[in-house]
Amino acid sequence: MIEAAGLVKAYGETRALDGVDLAVPAGSVFGLVGPNGAGKTTLLSILAGLRTPTGGTVTIGAGPSEVAVLPDTPRFDPWLTGREVVALAAALAGAPGGVEEALADAGLDEAAGRRVGGYSRGMLQRLGIAATVVGRPRVMLLDEPASALDPAGRREVLDLVRRSRGEATVVFSSHILADVQEVSDHLGILHRGRMLLQGEAGGLLEGRVEPAYVVRFRRGRDAAASALAALPWVQEAAPSGDLDLRVRVSSAAAAEEGLVAALASSGAAVVSIRPEAPSLEDLFLEVTS
Amino acid sequence: MTLWRLEWLRLVRTRRLLALTGVYVFFGFVGPLTARYLPQILERFGGDQMQVVVPDPVPADGIAQFSANATQIGLLVAVVVAAGALTMGALGEMAVFLRTRVASPARLLLPRYVVAAGAGAAAFALGSMVAWYETAVLLGGVPAGGMAAGTALGMLYLAFAAAVAAAVGSRFDGVLSTVLGALVALLVLPLLGLVGPVGRWLPSHLVGAQTDLVSGGDVAGYLGSAAVTAAVSALLLWAAVRRTGTREW
Ligand SMILES: Nc1ncnc2c1ncn2[C@@H]1O[C@H](COP(=O)(O)OP(=O)(O)O)[C@@H](O)[C@H]1O
Ligand SMILES: [Mg+2]
Repeated sequence: MIEAAGLVKAYGETRALDGVDLAVPAGSVFGLVGPNGAGKTTLLSILAGLRTPTGGTVTIGAGPSEVAVLPDTPRFDPWLTGREVVALAAALAGAPGGVEEALADAGLDEAAGRRVGGYSRGMLQRLGIAATVVGRPRVMLLDEPASALDPAGRREVLDLVRRSRGEATVVFSSHILADVQEVSDHLGILHRGRMLLQGEAGGLLEGRVEPAYVVRFRRGRDAAASALAALPWVQEAAPSGDLDLRVRVSSAAAAEEGLVAALASSGAAVVSIRPEAPSLEDLFLEVTS
Repeated sequence: MTLWRLEWLRLVRTRRLLALTGVYVFFGFVGPLTARYLPQILERFGGDQMQVVVPDPVPADGIAQFSANATQIGLLVAVVVAAGALTMGALGEMAVFLRTRVASPARLLLPRYVVAAGAGAAAFALGSMVAWYETAVLLGGVPAGGMAAGTALGMLYLAFAAAVAAAVGSRFDGVLSTVLGALVALLVLPLLGLVGPVGRWLPSHLVGAQTDLVSGGDVAGYLGSAAVTAAVSALLLWAAVRRTGTREW
């Protein structure tokens, strides 16, 4: 659906993109992850046709009215109402309809009649999303769609991205690995203009970053730590802070089957168990080393 | 909701239409009034020390007064309105939203140009009608044919000014820079006219048409510059579309 080969974008001395290849299968959700300055916005802008690459090629299997782009900080003429913005997007997509539904999905039904000049940053982001999904585009390019939102808003945006799987081909960027992992079926990791890794989400990170869990105790942490350390699939059980134990494991599957049982039989009082999301930094260290 | 309605809403909701028609209608009203009472006004302020000799006003003076203001302050307002709609770099993320959804930059620019230029020309025509009517009441009638032709040529000049704003605006990132750039272009261009007979072929020749044609001027003397103006406007719009298609956002 979307293919790019050897993309280079030079701004004077800096190379915002330095030979990026990209393959996004039709109907997939492609998560583009990388720290600030990695080249995410540049890559998405080139895919959107807003910037011309210095070198390389792009093919997108959809016409302009079938591609919707959400810029990182959406902004609209302040004297338009939210409803008018979405209606305009629908008309330009050649599918005038579904405006109210898109507004409601974005949680804007109450504010839809107000001028967007009075919208908050989060509301503008939601409005941008409503204007993006309204024409049922075949391709959606979303630049950090969740970054400006509060946790609840972020949740909604991620759900929305997840729901469009199969209906549209989505490329969305983020500097938060956990967000991308949660909703994408394909991942690309961009770092200083280069695509370090890309492929199906499941296999890509497996074996790259060791899974770990953080267990919080009411009491009995030390006993549990020695019990866990004796298990073959536990690499390390290291205390962290006053209450937590960080358990590094060799396989997520083994931990999912055995961690709770092992804790139970150690007699400890456990407050919570949560998987530790690998940070982007860990991943870069792992990939670049 | 279409790109055309978007431009109409821009005019109405940001009060640009009000400003445009307000300025032209105001001068349409004040111009003939000033022409009619100028001798009295000067006499009153001249007092005893100065003896001011002003010839009695003729009907064409009413139109001339309007035209002088309309082609200065009116033109400035018209250029500001056009620059506001046609400065591509100032559209920010709104441009990303629009540009990525239309196949050709012409589809994006055309409504902006037509509505901005049309509003300026229509406001000028309205002001001209007010000036024409009031001149007839206060000073006596001016030839309707000359007035209509002069007004049409003035409207053409405003369409040209908007095309200049479009061409400049496709390269600039701020509305103010576009306004200044367009005004400089519009003011410098007539200087070419100082070189021999070139002047009567330039768009700026049209600026004086309204006044001239109500005072017995011949419309045939403007056909050349009208043709040049139309052709240059089309060329400027083409350049604006081209530049908008290749610019980076
Ligand atoms: N228009 C531009 N002019 C000059 N440098 C730019 C421009 N756009 C991006 N860059 C540079 O390219 C690099 C990548 O930027 P960007 O694509 O915005 O990264 P990201 O979106 O991942 O944060 C940065 O070093 C940035 O400074
Ligand atoms: Mg960015």
